[in-house]
Amino acid sequence: MDTPSARYLKDIPHKPYDLVKELVIIFGVVLLMLIILAAVFKSPDYPTITGADVAKHQPVAYLKTALDILAGNASIQDYGPPYNSDTSNSQHFLGIAPATWGGVTIPIDPEQDFIIKPLQQMAVINPRLSPVLSTWNSASTDQKETWTTNYSVALDSATVINGNVVISNGDYGPVGEMMSAMLTLGQSGLLEGALDQNSQLPYVTNPTNSLLFFQDDVYASAADMLDLTGSQWGIVHETGNYPGAWWLNPYAIFYHIPPMSTSANGDIEVGVIMIVILLILLLLPFIPGLNRLPRWLGVYKIIWRDWYKSAKAK
Amino acid sequence: MSLTEKTQRFIVRNISLEDVLPSKMPVYVHSFAYLFGALTLTAMLLLIITGVIMTIFGPGWYHGSGTGHFFNSLHFWGTQIFFMGLILHLITKFFMAAWRDGRWKTWIIGVVSFAVFIPTALTGFLSQTNFDSQWVGVQAKDALNAMGVGSFFNTLNTTQMLTAHIGFLPFLAVILVALHIFLVRRDGPVKPIDNAKKTK
Repeated sequence: MDTPSARYLKDIPHKPYDLVKELVIIFGVVLLMLIILAAVFKSPDYPTITGADVAKHQPVAYLKTALDILAGNASIQDYGPPYNSDTSNSQHFLGIAPATWGGVTIPIDPEQDFIIKPLQQMAVINPRLSPVLSTWNSASTDQKETWTTNYSVALDSATVINGNVVISNGDYGPVGEMMSAMLTLGQSGLLEGALDQNSQLPYVTNPTNSLLFFQDDVYASAADMLDLTGSQWGIVHETGNYPGAWWLNPYAIFYHIPPMSTSANGDIEVGVIMIVILLILLLLPFIPGLNRLPRWLGVYKIIWRDWYKSAKAK
Repeated sequence: MSLTEKTQRFIVRNISLEDVLPSKMPVYVHSFAYLFGALTLTAMLLLIITGVIMTIFGPGWYHGSGTGHFFNSLHFWGTQIFFMGLILHLITKFFMAAWRDGRWKTWIIGVVSFAVFIPTALTGFLSQTNFDSQWVGVQAKDALNAMGVGSFFNTLNTTQMLTAHIGFLPFLAVILVALHIFLVRRDGPVKPIDNAKKTK
């Protein structure tokens, strides 16, 4: 049969080989390994962090999160595309900002989507909230800032008694009641439902809003406990004592090397480095010098030692 | 000549039954280095099998069912073995300069496949619906947004990530791997260094 392989190997001695037997054996060995590993070590399944969890067990952290969002201090506020149009914080490399190319495809107004709209839903159950929200909506920007700042200071010295957050009296305007209502929403377990409202209800296929709500301090503090943060090489870790995505070490390492490690554009810088590495790997057969490395390193002599031994004997 | 006849001719000219199901190998194919491709392929097959079983019962099955958790564990450790085999396969093929004698196409498709396996694994992590996927989602979004990908590939859209993981990406991966194996078998195992007619 004059196929490419037959022409290539015509002068090479062959030995008997049973592909099907080899594949069956390898399949059996790998399957056995998997069964043993799965039975003995199982797999990680650290439970989700929900609004109810945070509201009930860390109510001050919950309120700080909600207040930050209301005050316009959450990281998603001025993130830029794909969430909003403010590109001043979009990462860039050599003046190019790919983050802006796609535009605002996941529009999010944190104050409205994460706080006001959920409270408007609560106002249907608790009509007392309606005038509270009207007061907030009709206030000036400076007035809102005064209220949220005062409430933030008070939160720093708040105490929790029987699950209730006790805050000193102060000039908080409608913020006090708004935050109290948000806490109730969280404790009831209805936060995520309020955040992920969409036009295809009852189907909720996209929990983007509820995932972004706690993405700052709450998730980060849990991740810190589990060695999942960036500074802890979290990219390659898994929850518990399980192996993570260790194959991403060549990617993760660049986040620890200056200037990427401290750069506001670290993600795109590392991304560009990865693209360059991928291109080098892809085009390795054609890159002078690099394509000779295997020959210079000599590891092939170990792989084909029997062949070289028999060739030498002849 | 009809398209069918042209296809037949292409197949007959490029690959024989012996290529597809070899009963003999060049004597230099005699090292552990030759096992890692098969190891990776086997792990991939088991990932597909366990993954398909999990799709029957849905992404939430493994949280509450012991059997479901067992299959999730098979899938989890399958991923570990898959990437272990893949990295060893890549490393040994590098040391063998396996791209020689016209096999650069096989090498390129292999690297492209690797580039597809990475987001396949990422979307798998994002589909776990536990805290790990919450955290990975909010962190990975920053990297993908910075690269301009986040506007259409939303790590926080669980359904999109799940469908990418069980649909588009494995479909692409299987096509690339099939092409890779076709080329491997069509061209035959690369000869040892210093023994090839072309030494590029």
